[in-house]
Amino acid sequence: MFIPFTIGLYYIYITSWTLGFSIFSLLGTYDGLATRQAMGAFLGAYQGVLHNQYFGSVATAYLSYLLTLAFTWFVLLGGVAKGIERLAKTAIPLLFVLGALLVARVLSFGTPDVAHPDWNVSNGLGFVWNPDFSQLTNASIWMAAAGQIFFTLSIGWGIIHTYVSYLREDDDIALTGMSTVGVNEFAEVILGGTIALTAAVAFFGVNGTREIAHGGAFDLGFQAMPVIFQRVPAGNLIGAVWFLLLFFAGITSAVAMAQPMIALLEEGWNVTRTRAVSLVCGGMFVAVQPVIFFQSYGFLDELDYWVGAVALVVFALLEILIFAWIFGIDRGWDEINRGAAVRPPAMFKPVIKYVTPAFLAVILGWWLVTEVPGKLMMEGVSAQARPYVIGARVMMLAILALVWTLVAQASRAWRRPPGGSLR
Amino acid sequence: MTAAGFIFMAASWAAIVALNVFCFAKLWSENHRD
Repeated sequence: MFIPFTIGLYYIYITSWTLGFSIFSLLGTYDGLATRQAMGAFLGAYQGVLHNQYFGSVATAYLSYLLTLAFTWFVLLGGVAKGIERLAKTAIPLLFVLGALLVARVLSFGTPDVAHPDWNVSNGLGFVWNPDFSQLTNASIWMAAAGQIFFTLSIGWGIIHTYVSYLREDDDIALTGMSTVGVNEFAEVILGGTIALTAAVAFFGVNGTREIAHGGAFDLGFQAMPVIFQRVPAGNLIGAVWFLLLFFAGITSAVAMAQPMIALLEEGWNVTRTRAVSLVCGGMFVAVQPVIFFQSYGFLDELDYWVGAVALVVFALLEILIFAWIFGIDRGWDEINRGAAVRPPAMFKPVIKYVTPAFLAVILGWWLVTEVPGKLMMEGVSAQARPYVIGARVMMLAILALVWTLVAQASRAWRRPPGGSLR
Repeated sequence: MTAAGFIFMAASWAAIVALNVFCFAKLWSENHRD
């Protein structure tokens, strides 16, 4: 409940950027902006971090957010649930086709700027793929990698629970899981890893790409993609479609992130669906305000670090311990194999029971010893930003306490004999 | 890109494509068994 609600509240805001950029692409708002400085100034002004000739305030981003939240709210109320399902069936394959075309286009960029011969596609691919074995001794890298794979596969934080609730008892979990991983990795590694990162290095250089990534966890794609679209035929239209498809894909995820908390209110607190949706969306709206207005002080990145990476690994460890040791690996193994067309090799049984929990525990322990003290003491955070970073932490703790209370109350009601009421 | 980088990329892409082909083939045969 804690993770999907907290990620969901800023995820809807990030999703709203795709709506904004879809319209900008169609209108040609960012046409002619092809350098890191120019695209950085455009994105920064849109986010309200900078004030310049592109945007004088965060108002455009805020309007885009309101539209996105309203749309999410509407979908959650069931207004277009069937419609969004039909749309996703067309939109997601179309996104893949467009992605494959963009991969081909990016790989053909060569060296876009002869003044910077080392800014090229080969170095872009090298930036992603050249192994740097010295990083294997960096606990943060392991933590970020584990957080990334759990985030992207929706594991460990309630989203996958929303999706699997649609499965029947005899549905093939192993094959469904493998298919999910396969399609996800295709999108993330082959398409995503080739398009945005490679193009960013080709147009902004390795150092420029690093600076963008350090400047904001979500900025890279929004600075690199517009530059790519300016170099493809009918780029304005393709860019508009691309960002719009991402918007719809984002909405489907946002819906899944809101669902666990809505289900808790409905089932644990006997709140009607309409009221539960309004409470969750309203709560997200209130909590997102500092994310929007204090973004330049690192509020968003602080939330994303603790909830979007660290908490995912913590909860994933707890879940695998519950699955393998409390629910029991033998019962779990029966579940995995029930109705399975693909039977996982028996070696995965000890992997699930011993190797995975031990591996996650080691990463967590190592990170706790080497990284946490500096992170908690806000090393590298400017004095001006520190109150906002502390504010982000207080907000996370407040959400955690609220969720804890809601779950504790609901579980007391569930334990009560039939006929008893919660309030 | 270094030779090691290219090998990493080629191996990863091949593994991902192979996994997708396998899963789609299995899903297809499961859904068209009758």
